[in-house]
Amino acid sequence: MNLYHNKLAQWAAYGVFFAIIAAVPLFVSDSFLLNQLGTYGVYGLLALSISLCWGFGGILNLGQGIAFGLAAYGMAMTMQMQTQDPESNPIPPFMLNNSLEQLPALWEPFWSTGLGITLALVVPTLFYVIFGNLMFRARVSGPFFAIMSLAMLSALFTIILDMQPYTNGANGITPPQPLTILGTPLDPYGPATYWLVCGLLIALTVGAKLLTQSKFGLLVQAVRGDAERVRFLGYNVAAYETAIYALSGFIAAVAGCCWVILVQYVSPAQLDVSFSVTMVIWAGIGGRLSLLGSMLGAFIIQGGQSYLGDALLSTWLLGLGAFFIIVVRFLPKGLAGLLEMGLGALSSGRRPKQLEPADRANAMAGE
Amino acid sequence: MGSLDLNSLINALVLGLSIASIWLLAAIGLTIIYGVVGVINMAHGEFIMLGAYSSYLLQSYFGLPFLLCIPASFVVVAAIGLVIERGLIRYLYNRPLDTLLATWGVSIVLMQAVRLIFGSDPKYLAVPALFSSNLQIGFINLSVFRIVVMAVTALVVAGTWFLFYRTRFGMQVRAVTQNKEMAASFGINASRVYMLTFALGAGLAGVAGSLFGVLNIVLPTMGTAYVVQAFLVVVTGGGTLLGSVFAGGLTGELQSIFAAVTNDTFARFLLFLLIVVFLWFRPQGLFAPRSVRR
Amino acid sequence: MAGLLEIKDLHKSFDGTPVINGFSLEVTEMTVCCVVGPNGAGKTTTMDLITGRQKPTSGTIHFAEEDITGLGEHEIARRGIGRKFQVPAVFRELSVRQNLEVAYSKQTNALKNMFVFGDAAMKRKLDEIAALANLTERLEVEAGTLSHGETQWLEISMVLMQNPRVLLLDEPVAGLTEGEIMKTARLIKQLKETNTLIVVEHDMGFVREIADVVTVMHMGTLLAQGTIGEIEANDRVREVYLGSEEH
Repeated sequence: MNLYHNKLAQWAAYGVFFAIIAAVPLFVSDSFLLNQLGTYGVYGLLALSISLCWGFGGILNLGQGIAFGLAAYGMAMTMQMQTQDPESNPIPPFMLNNSLEQLPALWEPFWSTGLGITLALVVPTLFYVIFGNLMFRARVSGPFFAIMSLAMLSALFTIILDMQPYTNGANGITPPQPLTILGTPLDPYGPATYWLVCGLLIALTVGAKLLTQSKFGLLVQAVRGDAERVRFLGYNVAAYETAIYALSGFIAAVAGCCWVILVQYVSPAQLDVSFSVTMVIWAGIGGRLSLLGSMLGAFIIQGGQSYLGDALLSTWLLGLGAFFIIVVRFLPKGLAGLLEMGLGALSSGRRPKQLEPADRANAMAGE
Repeated sequence: MGSLDLNSLINALVLGLSIASIWLLAAIGLTIIYGVVGVINMAHGEFIMLGAYSSYLLQSYFGLPFLLCIPASFVVVAAIGLVIERGLIRYLYNRPLDTLLATWGVSIVLMQAVRLIFGSDPKYLAVPALFSSNLQIGFINLSVFRIVVMAVTALVVAGTWFLFYRTRFGMQVRAVTQNKEMAASFGINASRVYMLTFALGAGLAGVAGSLFGVLNIVLPTMGTAYVVQAFLVVVTGGGTLLGSVFAGGLTGELQSIFAAVTNDTFARFLLFLLIVVFLWFRPQGLFAPRSVRR
Repeated sequence: MAGLLEIKDLHKSFDGTPVINGFSLEVTEMTVCCVVGPNGAGKTTTMDLITGRQKPTSGTIHFAEEDITGLGEHEIARRGIGRKFQVPAVFRELSVRQNLEVAYSKQTNALKNMFVFGDAAMKRKLDEIAALANLTERLEVEAGTLSHGETQWLEISMVLMQNPRVLLLDEPVAGLTEGEIMKTARLIKQLKETNTLIVVEHDMGFVREIADVVTVMHMGTLLAQGTIGEIEANDRVREVYLGSEEH
């Protein structure tokens, strides 16, 4: 049997991965580098969320920036309000610049750190539940859902840009101080913050992996294959699609919160279409059917991008686009699929899977 | 702002017509590529961008007059589309999600290639002096160039309609969309039909690009602004030519009226919500042929 | 015995063209009812209407004395109507075992299923049905690699995993070899002990083998109904079939 499909081996691989990322602060003393590696944890979370939704659920979501961005704004608002004072200084400076004389009602709940963070996580998730339910009940699926999610994202992008007095428009929100939890400030450049992000990544990855192995995970994969068939087996397909979409939105929301804790900044760029598409490219190249593969895809691509620098950015993106085309055309399971084939060849000593004539006939009859 | 009197309503309606013509022009190539070939072409915005750059190139290096740049851009972008269809898209028919992703890869490649060749600084297209003037009819004020855009859009729609419903090629196209196997048994080469339709759709994006390059500045990223809008027109219309004409007209007018009451960005947001609700009631769009499965 | 499934005066038209034109049918529990008829008679559309894939223009469908007309596909399936499609529809990327696990739909709630990691009752049932359908050896292979005959049997097994009261089988022996057809006939006779079956089939030899009642559809209406002997002696049926069907 192919080692790639062995559950124990899979968990072992995840264990090694977790151990490596958790040990990073022990070897990295440069705090700026540690902070940057922390943001990779955020990319990992986003790749995880895409793999769950697109890889397992078959729902191509080109608007994951919705949850990421909304949560990031929620967290930034919370952190901003931590530095304001209800008595002497209740209004953030950028609002004063936009001649607001009162704190908008939208901002009021963010006086409370607990409520603020809760809203940062709940609002995007709830948004996904409602939007997903609307779309999936109407049986919008496949490329149409992709386009609708993309359009929703750009609608949100324009509205945030437009609401200058509330969101500071294109400049975004820059909370002057790090997040303070229970009286302790979380230094974005310290190991504690890194471990917080890392811990969330590990916990959510384990949760997601277990989810894919549950009956729910199996059903979601069945829906990906043939949603109509699942319906005739007695399942409410829209509920499954909404659930996996909302869960992936929740993970992206966690990523959005972590992002602002690490960089102390949010702007509409987090809701930019190209960033959401980049997430899909990470998962596509790494291997959308593998949670770990998708995360490694994010690390490799973001790592390559930042180490090549701005001078070569266009060339790098050009190469990335070309490679992505090759992956779509020849390697639908991404680099993880390559590993699967390799291990398959190793364990069986022959080519892993060949199409039988009957298989082809079925494939043709199926259309 | 706020209230809407008759004058500003008529102004908004006229402006809406202009917006509608822009969206329709952006969407028409996408409509025929989607309606006939079934491909969701995410590189459509970049085809528009390529149209603008080819006009720029022809104008500033070969001194081609602007009005000739329009058909020339059609030819150039159609040729590029043809190469992409033969080299990539044709291997991905019947895999709609994969074509979407692959064409996104194409869009990245095209955008970065243009950036490497032409740089990131904006380029400008020069137009005859007459085009940059304004026309005043009563209280309605409209730039001449916007009227040119409307005229070209009308011409393109009429031409496409003629091609699809009044020529032998159009008959072949419709035969292939209705039943590929049966069309093949009548000796129609579906692969050739797809190839030519894809090239035609790309060429029309090229036409749109050479006009949009005048409305806005020419940049490697200019295509992204149009692609989402164009998709909404196609999806709302249901992927047919008539559907896109109606959807383009309706959304353009609504955008203009909403914008007159609120502002541009908020209008866009409202319009989108409206489209989501509409598609919820009618997922197949305004005019969609009934789908048959199994 | 009252009819388990009662269809009354069903009408369905597409864009004004009637496809089902006042069709009525009553299916008794624990019988095999075969629906035959020339192509375009409306057999598959009737299946679509019963299972909720299409909504009838008018008419009613009652199942176990409950009106199920117009319910959603999954709601009808949950009430105990399982369906095998004309073109075998299995999850090709999943293993045979996973296909059967998906079909076991005792718990359908999405949130609750997040905490289900296999249960003993399901495993027992899976082994039992796999043995019945000769799929025990093939449980771990990808369903997409099965032969056509195995795929047909897998889909029937999936319907059985659903634990339905009525099985609708749309052309279960299309494309099967003579030997496979005989095996399928034996399986259906076995299923009749505990289930009610509605079988759409062209193969008259197979129908003769399994049917308790034969219903002949023509132009969207019921042309004749009776035992296979009565049907084969019916002049109108001969008229409709002569030349249009070989048997």
